[in-house]
Amino acid sequence: MKLIKDKVAKLSFVALLVTMTAAIFYTPTASAHGEKSQAAFMRMRTIHWFDLNWSKEEVAVNDTMTISGKFHVFAGWPETVDKPEVSFLNIGIPGPVFIRAGSWIGGQLVPRSVSLELGQTYDFKVLLKARRPGEWHVHTMMNVQGGGPVIGPGKWVTITGSMGQFTNPLVTLTGQTIDLETYALDNIYFWHAIWYAIGVAWLLFWAKRPMFIPRHIAVSSGKASSLISAGDKKVGTAFALGTVLILGVTMGTTNEKYPVTTPLQAGLMRGIKWIEMPAPTVDVKVEDATYRVPGRAMQMTLTITNNGDSAVRLGEFNTAAVRFLDPDVLEDESGYPDDLLAEEGLTVSDNSPLAPGETRTVNVTASDAAWEVYRLADLIYDPDSRFAGLLFFFDEDGNRQMVMVDAPLIPSFI
Amino acid sequence: MSASQSAVRSRAEAVAVSRTFDWMILFTLFFVVLGGYHIHYMLTGGDWDFWADWKDRRLWVTVAPIVSITFPAAVQACLWWRYRLPVGATLCVLGLLLGEWINRYLNFWGWTYFPVNFCFPSNLMPGAILLDTILLLGGSMTLTAVVGGLAWGLVFYPGNWPIIAPLHVPVEYNGMMFTLADLQGYHYVRTGTPEYIRMVEKGTLRTFGKDVAPVSAFFSGFVSIIIYFLWHFFGKWFAKTDFISDDEL
Ligand SMILES: [Cu+2]
Repeated sequence: MKLIKDKVAKLSFVALLVTMTAAIFYTPTASAHGEKSQAAFMRMRTIHWFDLNWSKEEVAVNDTMTISGKFHVFAGWPETVDKPEVSFLNIGIPGPVFIRAGSWIGGQLVPRSVSLELGQTYDFKVLLKARRPGEWHVHTMMNVQGGGPVIGPGKWVTITGSMGQFTNPLVTLTGQTIDLETYALDNIYFWHAIWYAIGVAWLLFWAKRPMFIPRHIAVSSGKASSLISAGDKKVGTAFALGTVLILGVTMGTTNEKYPVTTPLQAGLMRGIKWIEMPAPTVDVKVEDATYRVPGRAMQMTLTITNNGDSAVRLGEFNTAAVRFLDPDVLEDESGYPDDLLAEEGLTVSDNSPLAPGETRTVNVTASDAAWEVYRLADLIYDPDSRFAGLLFFFDEDGNRQMVMVDAPLIPSFI
Repeated sequence: MSASQSAVRSRAEAVAVSRTFDWMILFTLFFVVLGGYHIHYMLTGGDWDFWADWKDRRLWVTVAPIVSITFPAAVQACLWWRYRLPVGATLCVLGLLLGEWINRYLNFWGWTYFPVNFCFPSNLMPGAILLDTILLLGGSMTLTAVVGGLAWGLVFYPGNWPIIAPLHVPVEYNGMMFTLADLQGYHYVRTGTPEYIRMVEKGTLRTFGKDVAPVSAFFSGFVSIIIYFLWHFFGKWFAKTDFISDDEL
């Protein structure tokens, strides 16, 4: 007996372990810090986020903030990633620390997936309502079906207050005012408790009599029919009919209580408006590009032609949301995240104004620790060793032009 | 451990030991089933069961019963065949629901802060009771597969409707119509579950107008019958004693 007890105890323990370790600990992904582990080319050659603005750095529970800006859908989208024909404007936060009170692309509310066009630039806005206190890294994010999440830059935002104060009030189309945070919760607990109790009652009805050994002996000696009495069958009938009855009655009462319900809403949204960008009057040709591993710097030789009617200077190189600026031309005033901003990271061999009609070949260096920190340097290990980014040119009046570059990259290890 | 080496000295003692054994087996079985069934259901039913905005009238109604009739069929086969106990399905669903509630409450809500009214599990109990009582009353696995399997699919939606109906009330939000469940999915950000992987309202049952839930439920019931047969044999195979060598018995 002791042996059996030990065995069963051991088995129970194993079973408990299996149970605990496996399913019960499943938690939906809450982390949003995938940005650095994502392949560099995914960040450089898919969605380019720019002109970003996080409206607040500190926000109280129930207050809102926005993240707005633009994204350019890179025309040289990598072959290894599915095109953004089905994409979803998400937000990279660790679980619902904010609720997404709204999100728009080109002024259109986008609670669903959208179809994006390669080579176009869109403006977007995400409205967030603070829910859970803490310090959170808030990223822009675009999910692409078949491509995975494309994570944009993140900025730390502090939420103050207490989550207990959070409310999410709404007025339904049937005129009810509700708080979605706790709406229908009692009803859910109530029905689950009722049905669980019915199940427990059924199990106990059988468990209150000798179960395994005697019944097994009876079954193996051919006396199985003696194990089920007429009384058992009566109780069984009562449970069966009771179940059907409860189902019928609750269907009726539920439909009476909620006469207006609609099916879940879903579907792809097409025809999202992009920004009509004027064709750039600056033409850039990449002669060559190298990444110097020891210096953490990218060097490009560019031949720039100004076909416009005012002189321009290169102010910014933006790749994978890291911004390299030439401080003589451009200073950031948007409060862009420090770790992604190389305020003096851009050096141009000759950055004097390029007159209309003039062509000049210059050496451009973009250097910053961000290459390492954000593992962009890893792009030399990518299957298709290319880089891509946005160049921003400015004329004297501060007018900006955006030019895409996309070219092979040669690493240099010495 | 044969009876001749008697570990017990009297009939009363034997009865007491047998009862202790009953509870230990039941306890063990409950948690083994809980673990196995829960994992199985998460892998096959997954998001349909996790989120209120996946609980639609087409795919959830179809998928959830089909993938969840598995363990009840297998455990029923074992408990009925060996012990004439018609509790297999109920035992499974009690285990599954307990595991799910622990997971949803402690992890989804307690750890990740998804509101419980967004991540509650589906109710499978009515089908389980019917499956067990049909087995008891009919005494036949075939009958249970056909009538019980169909019932399993048919009662799933009615069994859940009182729970989900309040979340299917429409609301206007920023110029679009949502159900409250849709809005939960939009508000309570899931970075790992983009909107496009949500499989709802897809399918070809368009000719049935708005009454697709009963049609989906019937279809689900028919497939459940087949799955019941299949898993019933798994259960029987699993309940064989061939695994234990004779001298151990
Ligand atoms: Cu982050």
